[in-house]
Amino acid sequence: MIELRNVSKNFGGVPAVYDFSLKIESGAFFVLIGPSGCGKSTVLRMINAMIRPDKGEIEIHGQDIHAMEPERLRRGIGYVIQSAGLFPHWTAADNVLVVPRLLKWSKVKCAARLDALVALLRIDPALLDRYPRQLSGGQQQRIGVARALAADPSIILMDEPFAALDPVSRAALQDELRAIHAHSGKTIVFVTHDMDEALRLATRIAVMNSGRLIQTGAPASVLQAPADDFVRDFLGGDALQLRLLDLVPVRSLTKAGKTGTTETIAAEASLKNALNLMLARRRSSLCVKDENGARLGEISLSDIVARHDAT
Amino acid sequence: MPKVEDRVLLLLSGLGFAGVFLGGFLNFAPNRLASGVASSLFRAPDFEAAAAITGLCGVTLLSFVPDQKLRSYATILAAALILWGSLAGAGRVAALLMPSASPAARVSLGPAFWILMSVSILAIVDAVQRGKFGFFARFGIGAVFCIGFFLMALAGDFDRLSLAREFLDNRSVFLIELLRHIGLVGAAIVFALLIGVPLTMLVSRKKTMAGFVFVSLGLLQTIPSIALFGVLIAPMSKLSEKFPFLHALGINGTGPAPAILALTLYSLLPLVRGFYTGFSEVAMEVKEAATAIGFDARQMFIEVELPLAAPALLASLRVVAIQAIGLASVAALIGAGGLGTFIFQGIGQYALDLVLVGALPVILLALLANLVFETLLGLARRNL
Repeated sequence: MIELRNVSKNFGGVPAVYDFSLKIESGAFFVLIGPSGCGKSTVLRMINAMIRPDKGEIEIHGQDIHAMEPERLRRGIGYVIQSAGLFPHWTAADNVLVVPRLLKWSKVKCAARLDALVALLRIDPALLDRYPRQLSGGQQQRIGVARALAADPSIILMDEPFAALDPVSRAALQDELRAIHAHSGKTIVFVTHDMDEALRLATRIAVMNSGRLIQTGAPASVLQAPADDFVRDFLGGDALQLRLLDLVPVRSLTKAGKTGTTETIAAEASLKNALNLMLARRRSSLCVKDENGARLGEISLSDIVARHDAT
Repeated sequence: MPKVEDRVLLLLSGLGFAGVFLGGFLNFAPNRLASGVASSLFRAPDFEAAAAITGLCGVTLLSFVPDQKLRSYATILAAALILWGSLAGAGRVAALLMPSASPAARVSLGPAFWILMSVSILAIVDAVQRGKFGFFARFGIGAVFCIGFFLMALAGDFDRLSLAREFLDNRSVFLIELLRHIGLVGAAIVFALLIGVPLTMLVSRKKTMAGFVFVSLGLLQTIPSIALFGVLIAPMSKLSEKFPFLHALGINGTGPAPAILALTLYSLLPLVRGFYTGFSEVAMEVKEAATAIGFDARQMFIEVELPLAAPALLASLRVVAIQAIGLASVAALIGAGGLGTFIFQGIGQYALDLVLVGALPVILLALLANLVFETLLGLARRNL
């Protein structure tokens, strides 16, 4: 568990973070979101002692982080930044294994770990001997994520890691990361200003503005009950209801029964996907199938509309 | 009209022909003070003159050859012909002229000779660069030409040229002055590093100091070298009188101590500026990632900053070394010795060939330093 209590930080007299308190439960995919300059990166960088707060305490697993040697603390926390920040004079493999090497792992253990990471992140083994400048942005960031996971830390900090990637690479890495989080139970603290990204990944969201925490909660509860106008506007204002549809799977509104329609949708797709397909094909209902292609029933437009009228 | 494939070669051969036909190849004078009579390359025995001219024609024709590999290899051969022809030719002409003359007579090398030398060496450099020769090939080509030159010298081919005679007359002190020259440069670089590295750390940590430090070093750099050497004489001799242990260490107003001090001061600006830029150009996000991963300050410096800044560091050391090699010639004026000794003796005695005995090795030393640092730079850049 990560806990920040009444943390404040000024940069040259300008408050970046003010009286900030936050608890991040172990195993959470915790997304800090807010406009540029709201202090979210500062909060992230205080967790691994890259920035020392002027006031307040920060604890990880009940231990004050400033009682620890900062290098030891950081070797136990994965860290990914926007531009990957790979070491340009080392190969991809050396970049991935930098923390295990700092921790003086044996060669055998390092090699085994590299194999495991290559499989986990679906890295093309041919890339391992290349230098960062020989890799695309998406490949670099995949190596950057592998580097953060290398020593199997229980906490990973990510500062807008996918912001500079093309949409295809970004979506692929988001899926990869969500799967890794689901399997490993690691705590991920993720900073972004992209609401869609936050909703795709988060188990909990914290919305920040001007150095303060405005609202935290599960993505759906924040969307359904924005604390104030700032949060409402930031979440998308008028489009907020559409965003909510993104969080609910088709399965939850599927009714057994026959339908006349031939258009089908996967049960794990979101209501937003379903609505999109209905609009595109001019249908008011769709046939729902599970991942094996077995028919589960149908979903209708009126049920989607009614669900929101109820909430 | 065939297409010109290598303009450099065409230009070089043109210069070579112009030199051969317009300038004197050798200059014969009855003594040092007389202005003497110029004689052309065609006074040389047919074989040597023909070799040089064939080589030049070869370079001209080669500038139209499209095949890169063929052109590179053939250019090196043609340039070798020019080199051999003009070196051996000069030696032969001198031998023909001298027996009939008094011991005070001088046979000096003229403009045409130097132009032919430059043209052939530049043609080789061009060929090696365009042919993308590897390190060992370059080294091998250089070694073959050097060995060839020394074999000709040992065979006595040049003995009648007054440049060779001046060299032979000073042979006993030449090696000493050469080593002294290298010693002055080496000591200055070591002291410049001892002062420059902490100074770089200071300006990197405290950016407010950077302006002051660079302006001061820049001011030092603008003082003419002779003036700086001269200015140091008075305070250094005062210090030496005040503190006998300094005197015991050999530190005086004249001699190597003020020379090394002046060379060190001149080296500081390029060194500190290059090192400062080199370290500050290491990408912020790489340093940030290294910190976040858990590198301590020492690991950060050794594993990240040093290797990434290495090319910039070596580039500034190259500038420092070449500059110091040149400036150290002036140190002879304040009794520090070095190759400058021959230059100033030669000027004093109006013996221009003696000037060359000092000046040519200075140029060769600078070229050698350049080669060494180029090689190191190539190694440092390999993975960047």
